[in-house]
Amino acid sequence: MITKTAWKNVWRNKIRSLVVIASVTVGIFAGVFAVGVMNGAIDQRIDEVIDNEVSHIQITHADFRANNDLACNIKDVSRIEESISGLEGVQAVSDRLFVVGMANTASKSTGVNIIGIDPEKEKEIFGLDKELEPRTGEYFGDPDREELAYIGVDLAKNLNIIRYEINDKVIGELKSAELPVEIISEIEKYSGERFDNERSFKKAMRSVLSDKNESEYGKLIMEKSQTFRERAKFTLTFVDSHNQQTGGVFRVGGLYNIPNSMFESTQVFVQDRILRRLIEFPENTAHQIVIRLKNVDDTRAMTRKLRNDFPGLEVLNWKQIQPDMAMMSDFAGVMYGFFMVIILAALAFGIVNTMLMVVLERIKELGMLTAIGMNKKKVFRMIMTESVFLSLTGGVSGMLVSWIIIKLTSTRGINFGSLQEGFEAMGFSSHIYPEIGVDFFLIVTVLIIITGILSSVYPALKALRLDPAEALRTE
Amino acid sequence: MKVLELNNVHKVYNTTHIEVHAVNDVSLTFEEGEFAAIVGPSGSGKTTLLNMIGGLDMPTDGKILVNSTDLSTLKSSAIIDFRMRNIGFVFQSYNLIPVLTAKENIEFIMNLQKWPRQKRDERTIELLKAVGLEDRINSRPAQLSGGQQQRVAVARALASKPRFVLADEPTANLDTKSTETLLDIMEKLNRDENITFIFSTHDARVVKKARRIITLEDGKVVSDEKRE
Repeated sequence: MITKTAWKNVWRNKIRSLVVIASVTVGIFAGVFAVGVMNGAIDQRIDEVIDNEVSHIQITHADFRANNDLACNIKDVSRIEESISGLEGVQAVSDRLFVVGMANTASKSTGVNIIGIDPEKEKEIFGLDKELEPRTGEYFGDPDREELAYIGVDLAKNLNIIRYEINDKVIGELKSAELPVEIISEIEKYSGERFDNERSFKKAMRSVLSDKNESEYGKLIMEKSQTFRERAKFTLTFVDSHNQQTGGVFRVGGLYNIPNSMFESTQVFVQDRILRRLIEFPENTAHQIVIRLKNVDDTRAMTRKLRNDFPGLEVLNWKQIQPDMAMMSDFAGVMYGFFMVIILAALAFGIVNTMLMVVLERIKELGMLTAIGMNKKKVFRMIMTESVFLSLTGGVSGMLVSWIIIKLTSTRGINFGSLQEGFEAMGFSSHIYPEIGVDFFLIVTVLIIITGILSSVYPALKALRLDPAEALRTE
Repeated sequence: MKVLELNNVHKVYNTTHIEVHAVNDVSLTFEEGEFAAIVGPSGSGKTTLLNMIGGLDMPTDGKILVNSTDLSTLKSSAIIDFRMRNIGFVFQSYNLIPVLTAKENIEFIMNLQKWPRQKRDERTIELLKAVGLEDRINSRPAQLSGGQQQRVAVARALASKPRFVLADEPTANLDTKSTETLLDIMEKLNRDENITFIFSTHDARVVKKARRIITLEDGKVVSDEKRE
């Protein structure tokens, strides 16, 4: 009866209750949706780290990671790989050579990590082959051509391999993209000109476009103006296993485009066999063995097992290689909970205020209830239940709205295109697919109930302090 | 059988400058089945006396014994429980719970006492019939007239079969016809169920029906007249 009465009491002053419910709905929606976006971004980043950059587990010589010395390599790689491949839960294993060097073109040079891979084996572990930028070539399309390299779009920009040019074709494409005529006519001033790098192109565009037009159309103009000469030449220089300076001329076989601009601008992939020859490295040795598991949840146990099996080698999993990701993965839940607690604490003030009004309005009725035999515990319970119902109604509707919006946006994603550079500098994609687990909704529900209970304490205590005889005299 | 006994009851309110004797040395005894009215001018101490009898207020001095239990010996939580089981209340302004129906208002106390559903339903229907509102079982207070609301309040006061019912100015807000109906119902319940009714009133219509009239003046009993 107390529960039923409390529920009916919520609707006694419909407008007031609906205002509170609406504020809780908006607060919960804002919190849950923001958490959904953050969670989506973090999950995407973790997937990206595992799928393109690190995989689940890496094995190296115990000293390799500290000094990148070519001599710190793993011997008898095929035996180790064979033994790891036979373990239950292992999906694929591959080995890599790893050399630090310089990438050079006629106009630019930059430091890079040169990674020698078996392109086919890598495909079973990483997804970089699927991140090929359209119209830039292929992922090691011709296996016989050893000089082909697979590099990131950002490195290609840094080396001036990607250039920018305004020509008739670009103008035509911009017209088809329905760019305003006055903007096109401004851009046409640069028709026939070629820009070696992004910075000079942006500078030129800024000179003819307003800030608003640049932020609105700049990205599109840049995309359309990009020119890339397939199989452009560049050189890689590095030190071989005898500490002699060496290098080779390579051609860009294709460009990969991932959200991590740091990775993109520093990691160059070449075929294992050419790098091995250039650094004069013996067969059946490698710097790194990368392992993909069937289930990410087995990572910790498998890391432990491999450490026991190969005590002389360093076995690290993705959380140990990327501690920032581990922190995000492990503490994201705590962070989200804390975020929701702050929102609910703010909402609690509104609920306390409403419940205080409720008590003050019903002094006479509360006096009557005490007079006819409703004890203090039950009066407290009734007010507390009413407060919980009020919070929970708003909370459930907020969670429902956020669930619907997250469902709607989780397939198409939300594009923060204007913030792309900033996102990618941190390794995050600017196209985020919000997602949230059922467990988070359960946690939020518990937090809402706690908020309802805590918000009722002060008003309920006020009700308990009422003298029934006095309360009954109230008009 | 004695249901209520007041022995030299005093109630003194201390205001800033003076002491006010709201009830002054009142000694009364009520037998089972009485239909008594406490009358007197405003400020004579009627409501204070009724509040003390109901355990809503405590005497400054003297004893109030309900079924031989001294109310002043009970803790506040025990008094609430004691009230629920032994005393029914009817208030001047009905004081029904506006969000509940007539039936729900009546069974509220039975719910607090955890009566089984079937027993609760039977008692509610029985009381609604007794107050002539069986056709308004699902009406909310706002859908009932003042007289009907007060009849529901009487039914609620009787729900848990109390030893006696205290009614503070029960007819003050009612018209003549509603007052007549209400008094007839209370008189019938008093006779049929042998429930003791104690009213505070200055309504001549109630006084006319009462079989015992206690007159208070300045907190003192100035007359205690019984009628047949």
